Amino acid sequence: MAVRAFIGDLRVALFLAFKSIVKGNRWVPILLVLVMASSFVNVIFTSSILAGVMSTMDKQLVDTVLANVVISPEEDEYYINHVNSWEDRIRQIPGIAGVSSHLNDSAFIEYQWKEKERPTDKGKSGTWQVVGIEPQQEADVTTIHSHIIEGSYLDDGDRDEIVLGVEIAGGDSAQSAPFLTLGGVKVGDKVRLTYSNGIQREYTVKGIFRAREMEQADRTAFVTRQEMVSVLGRQVFFDRASQILVRAKEGVNENSLIRQLSIIGLKGKVRSWREYSGAMHSVIFTFRIIASLIGSIGLAVAAIVMFIVIYIAVINKKHEIGILRAIGIQRGAIIGSYLTQALLYAVFGVVFGWLAVRFLLQPYFVRYPLDLPIGLVSLTVQPLTVGSSTLGLIGSAILAGFIPAWFIMKQGIIKAIWGE
Amino acid sequence: MIVARDLHKIYGRGLSATHALKGVNLAVESGEFVAVMGRSGSGKSTLLHLLGLLDMPTSGEIYIEDTDVLKLAEEKKSKFRLERLGYVFQEYSLLGELTVLENVYLPALSSITHHADYKERATKILDIVGLGERLGHYPSEVSGGEQQRVAIARALVNEPGILFADEPTASLDVKSAGVVLELFRKLNKDLGQTIVMVTHEPEDEQYVDRVIWLKDGFGVGCQ
Repeated sequence: MAVRAFIGDLRVALFLAFKSIVKGNRWVPILLVLVMASSFVNVIFTSSILAGVMSTMDKQLVDTVLANVVISPEEDEYYINHVNSWEDRIRQIPGIAGVSSHLNDSAFIEYQWKEKERPTDKGKSGTWQVVGIEPQQEADVTTIHSHIIEGSYLDDGDRDEIVLGVEIAGGDSAQSAPFLTLGGVKVGDKVRLTYSNGIQREYTVKGIFRAREMEQADRTAFVTRQEMVSVLGRQVFFDRASQILVRAKEGVNENSLIRQLSIIGLKGKVRSWREYSGAMHSVIFTFRIIASLIGSIGLAVAAIVMFIVIYIAVINKKHEIGILRAIGIQRGAIIGSYLTQALLYAVFGVVFGWLAVRFLLQPYFVRYPLDLPIGLVSLTVQPLTVGSSTLGLIGSAILAGFIPAWFIMKQGIIKAIWGE
Repeated sequence: MIVARDLHKIYGRGLSATHALKGVNLAVESGEFVAVMGRSGSGKSTLLHLLGLLDMPTSGEIYIEDTDVLKLAEEKKSKFRLERLGYVFQEYSLLGELTVLENVYLPALSSITHHADYKERATKILDIVGLGERLGHYPSEVSGGEQQRVAIARALVNEPGILFADEPTASLDVKSAGVVLELFRKLNKDLGQTIVMVTHEPEDEQYVDRVIWLKDGFGVGCQ
């Protein structure tokens, strides 16, 4: 009996809602759907741009600094030993696209040092990280080689040549202030490096790259591993590395790769790149909170607009609502008709909003991505964002539809009929 | 049968309180066509609102077909109105967004017991009230008299035991008023419909079985 009564109320609610939309003021549904769609797009757009920024940063971190998996020395060690044999063993694991071991050191780099008046003057200098790599192996793991903006990438046999990140070289392409760089090094210029062990070497700048990964990659200099070994000491460092980067093939699960790397007996810590990306993620997380607040305000505005429109509609229909109640139509059916209308406006708003995102905004940003200092940023629409925005909008609409109708229902029938 | 005992209705509080009904007692038998008459402000409409369960008395009792209707919860009261009472208002009681047919079948659409064939029944009743040709029209497209006949058809669609009418001819011209009152008499005589009608027109007496007179909130007699 209760089910039949519910079905009866639902039938009447749907019927009244349909008639109200079809016969009512045509601009009301259009306006409300437009408000709902705009709110939906607003929430999705802000979140998706931030997700796009994060996605670009993550991609750059993987492509230019860390690859997919980073093997670092054990906690009480500075280096990984027997690197050459480990590299061979790692390459045999299925799903590996490339392996590159890095021999890192920091160096004091000077440019135009001969022009300094006194040896103690700062001149054009600074301390940066220098990484020794096998250029061809590195090209399988990171994309530094494809970000050369001047000159060329290293070759395997290079000894007296160096490739500088743009934030070291300086010049027009650098984002950092000139005094934080070498002040505009050009390809073919000489730089002098003083390594941490005191050894001093002069290099010709072979290339300058701009990976747009300003935190690390663009502040790194590369020499060949052979050169770095000779600097640090051939006897000891021939078979050592500061870290080994592992690139997975497209579609290979990183976690399963980490599991496989962990069981081959490697003496080192195997970590996903994600474990290194905490700092930027916490910044982005803060932005996400701000975006959520902006989105919530958008949802609240949409809810308030719908509340006002439905409230005005309910007030204008007080007499009709009184008549409906007088002839025995249940409160649930009358409230249900307003809820149905609100729900329909919200659903259509979500649908039109989603269509706008999917077929207008997304293709636009794929074609014309935002050219930010961190790289080209497009919209990254995440299912969770779409889901939560949809639920938020529909929830707001339900409240906005329910409250005015419920408020009028509390009034006496006669007062409602008289329009008091 | 309708029985009302010692009905009081006070609007407002304190010095501004208005005592609209001051202990009205009445009984209406099944199949009767009764008119409630009296001067303006005598409490006629208030009485009908209470009997029709549209408002609550300040005190008193109302029994409709042996049900103590004032003790019903709001939801059950609403269902009682839907299934067992019909109500015709003075004017402007149709829903402008619904056609004539939709206005009439709406209560049947909501009813559990009268849902079957609701369109056919609504069409049949509209035929009875002489509006079989006006099904697809909207209220704004028919005359005042026709609107009242639609309201009567709506009140009858769930075959209620009792039909309440609150000055149903007040806003109609003489001819339309005559058509509506003839319809009431026909329903009462042919179908045995119980009708309680509030009116202030003395000439309406000729259509009813009995008149209940009210004066200043008191029931002053029957005729």
